[in-house]
Amino acid sequence: MDRVADKRGQGLIPVTVITGFLGSGKTTLLQRLLRSPCMQRTAVLMNEFGEVGLDHLLVEHVAESVVLLKSGCICCSIRDDLKSALRGLLSRRDRAEVPEFDRVVIETTGLADPAPILYTLVSEPVVRHHFRLATVITTVDAVNADLHLSRNPEGVRQLAAADRVVITKTDLAEPTQIAAARALCRRVNPTAWLLDAADVGTDPDLLLAAQPPGVDSRAAPPSDATLGTQAGQAHFAALERHGADVGSVSLVLDAPLDWTAFGVWLSMLLHRYGNDVLRVKGILQVRELQAPVFINAVQHIVHPPQHLESWPTDDHRSRIVFITRGVDRERLQRSLAAFTKVRVSEASYA
Amino acid sequence: MCGFCGVFLSETHWSDGSVAGPQAGGRTRRQERAHRVAVANRVLRHYGLKLADWQGSAYLLSGQTGQTAVVPSVAAVWPAAEQLRKRSLDPFDEALLEALERG
Repeated sequence: MDRVADKRGQGLIPVTVITGFLGSGKTTLLQRLLRSPCMQRTAVLMNEFGEVGLDHLLVEHVAESVVLLKSGCICCSIRDDLKSALRGLLSRRDRAEVPEFDRVVIETTGLADPAPILYTLVSEPVVRHHFRLATVITTVDAVNADLHLSRNPEGVRQLAAADRVVITKTDLAEPTQIAAARALCRRVNPTAWLLDAADVGTDPDLLLAAQPPGVDSRAAPPSDATLGTQAGQAHFAALERHGADVGSVSLVLDAPLDWTAFGVWLSMLLHRYGNDVLRVKGILQVRELQAPVFINAVQHIVHPPQHLESWPTDDHRSRIVFITRGVDRERLQRSLAAFTKVRVSEASYA
Repeated sequence: MCGFCGVFLSETHWSDGSVAGPQAGGRTRRQERAHRVAVANRVLRHYGLKLADWQGSAYLLSGQTGQTAVVPSVAAVWPAAEQLRKRSLDPFDEALLEALERG
């Protein structure tokens, strides 16, 4: 195949993954979404203990089982349960044993690392020809964000993998707690859309509509007014301590890239540091192309690059956000520049 | 689709192929493979290794003492190179970066 960034995904069934730590409000969010009339043709895959509490047409419960490939890393493991559940849905639909569905929502367990789920969707030979990953939604409990993210590496991975972050339990939290949770989410994953559960309501479009691929340049430091207060500062400082080694850096490249040189660099980077490069998301100005190319990777899992129709802003420079754990950002910047021979600078948010 | 182990459950690794085909003024498949080999060799040279196209379908990685490995994609080069050289390859390696900046 000559072109890697073709228009993939057309005609495939979109899959939304809802993840988040134990008790962070995944099922409540799912229940809200399923009440919407436009979610009627949705198949739901939940873990075996989940209960949506709705007479939904198609709810499957799956027991978690992971098959590790012999030569593989943990993130690149096929979720055997998910593979079987998705294949089973297709077979039963074809035999008219279940209603037609045009969307799948997967609610993960609170302790699930989302990477194997994403790997299964993009790599399993049958699954990838029928389904496509649409969005990853991560719920973060405003009251317990500190506890969840500080003690559980899965919580950080879930947050880093998110395309949307929904701050839940905002009705129970103090304004300073909400502000601190939002600030931490922005710092760990500036590429995700940040929403309050109260704002989501029952409008699934806010969560499920295709996000225009791109890199959110609003990866600015937290600016919530409540953080200016002493209590707010204390909350944020507490969260910062826990996630001190996880952070993001947004790099801007001053000239068009050689795609091949970038691919060589990224493959080597992910080979060496994939466990600590939690997310790579970028919009690239590639030589020979007028329109940008969108890249998206979660740990070692790289989604097929996408051609975009046009640039989202007048700034046509490549912009890449890295969410990393303990990776030196200056070395990352220098390495990218040396491999691509393009000047690389850190994005500013003036 | 795994950037770490290069395991192939799908037919094409993301890093294989060009994003601009000949119609868009880009390279042909053969030209693209030759270019990919040249780019990878800038890095591999630093470790005493060499990559070559292998019948248009894989790559042949060779060491200076005659050791070889056939790999399906550039992403699979790195674990194979580490096995041949018995050391880890680091894109942040200061000496490598200096060599790339010079060359």
